[in-house]
Amino acid sequence: MNVTTINRTGIGAFVLFTLTAPWLLPLFVDAFWVDIYSEILIWSLLAASVNLLFGYVGLLSFGQALYFGLGMYGVAIGVEKFDLGFWPAFGFGVFLATAMAVVTGALAVRLTWHYFAIITVVFSLIFYFMALSWKPVTGGDDGMPFSIPPVFSMGDIEVSFTDPTVQYFFIVITVGLCYALLGRILQSPLGRAFATVRENDLRATLIGLNVYAIRLSAFVIAGFLAGVAGALFAFFGRYASSVYMFYHVSGEAVVWAIIGGIGTLLGPIIGTGLLIILREELSSVWEHYQILVGVIIILTVIFAPKGLGGLWARLVEHVASRSSHGGDVK
Amino acid sequence: MTAIPLLEIDDVTKSFGGLNAIDGASITLASGTLHAIIGPNGAGKTTLFNVISGTLNPTSGHIKFLGRDITNEPVHRISQLGMARTLQIKSVFPNLSVRENLWIAAQSRHGVFKPFARARNLRPANEKSDALCEELGLTDLANQKAANLSYGDVALLEIGLALATDPKLLLLDEPVCGMGPAETEQTVEKIRELAKKIDVIIIEHDMEVIFNIADDIIVMAQGRVLARGTSDEISNNADVRVAYLGDDLDD
Repeated sequence: MNVTTINRTGIGAFVLFTLTAPWLLPLFVDAFWVDIYSEILIWSLLAASVNLLFGYVGLLSFGQALYFGLGMYGVAIGVEKFDLGFWPAFGFGVFLATAMAVVTGALAVRLTWHYFAIITVVFSLIFYFMALSWKPVTGGDDGMPFSIPPVFSMGDIEVSFTDPTVQYFFIVITVGLCYALLGRILQSPLGRAFATVRENDLRATLIGLNVYAIRLSAFVIAGFLAGVAGALFAFFGRYASSVYMFYHVSGEAVVWAIIGGIGTLLGPIIGTGLLIILREELSSVWEHYQILVGVIIILTVIFAPKGLGGLWARLVEHVASRSSHGGDVK
Repeated sequence: MTAIPLLEIDDVTKSFGGLNAIDGASITLASGTLHAIIGPNGAGKTTLFNVISGTLNPTSGHIKFLGRDITNEPVHRISQLGMARTLQIKSVFPNLSVRENLWIAAQSRHGVFKPFARARNLRPANEKSDALCEELGLTDLANQKAANLSYGDVALLEIGLALATDPKLLLLDEPVCGMGPAETEQTVEKIRELAKKIDVIIIEHDMEVIFNIADDIIVMAQGRVLARGTSDEISNNADVRVAYLGDDLDD
């Protein structure tokens, strides 16, 4: 077996599991795990957004919750205040998040390292407090519930999130498309340019690359991903709340991304999955379970800098080199 | 018809606080000869390269590259006009393979803002990076990370990155700095070969190297042009000796 075969098999198994989860999971565990799995998929997009910036372009953002929150509010306000249907509200949420990423990104990506991290926190805090205090529009910390419009309706036929299967598969397909898009971009010349900026930005400008524009485009794509996640989460929970714009949420996404594997495409799903499962299992029985999360982070950073995704890649390479009898593997 | 000069440096000053690293330097360089800039430490050589390639903006003065004013242009645009540069401290993309390093430099000429194109299917950059691997003798190392290369190979790769951008002018900042005799000889040979095809300006401490390969030598001291000429003229110049060896009478 070579590396590609093993990876394809792994991804195939993962896709198969995802497609059958609504029927498979209830056979072994409580049915609410289907919802938790949907949640994991949604949140993994926020981790993917952090990972795109940190793992591929070398920018550590502690403010991605801002774009997640705007995706949420776009949907909730769109439905509740503007009477938008499902798709226009979805589009409005993603648009708000992406537009905010363009505006804030234009300023933020002039900076790097801790200055960049700080400005992303500042931006997210500004809008967090705005959302918190602007109650008539946002509902503040009470949040803003809404009744979900149908995804599609024609005559008597109505497809809606009220059907759990529709909800689940809508989330799976949307998240899947986002990863496909991200994977495609990372394999493009732009994706390779991201890596040059992370590796050595001076050399990148000296070979004629516009580093500012490259960083900004990554920032906007990351904002888009976070926005899609937020919009999905709004539909999933039927409400929006400023709580999800707090920098605590951004920080969690950074942790998921690091544990899952910075600079790997699917690492964020692994990291998000592991930590959300941990939270669901432990938080009710052990109040201080976050201590364990802290220990996991420290161990990951020290022993597996590329996270669980990186460990997987190493394991696969090891297995592949074994089965080719220690052949030509570096 | 007079030919457009390769580079016109017109009364350029670069000051850091009160210190003038370059102090009203004016140099016009013609195409077709290998130029060298030498001078003692702190003469302003690297600062001059920084100002020419755009990594620093001059405090005053103008710079024209092939007749075009590039004084306050950003670095990447100057690169796109056909100027490439290596750095004194070798600078490549350490966690990319040798081929990926060369590939992205080659692709920079065709644009990287193509998020839906598949990188591995882009023929021009693929062919260019393979050809450069071959030319630089790095084919066996093509899939190695740049971080794993020997010092001499990194230097070679850095020159490769510059060449992948199809430059008209190549600025080399101390290309043999830190190299052993064998590597030095190999690199000098490479530079000589390159200079037949593109214009080269080289900064170097090693006088022997300079006198060997440069047709036109500019001596800088304290941010100014002290002398200019062929290797014979420079080695017999009294001012240059004072600049390098110090003037006992004064201090």
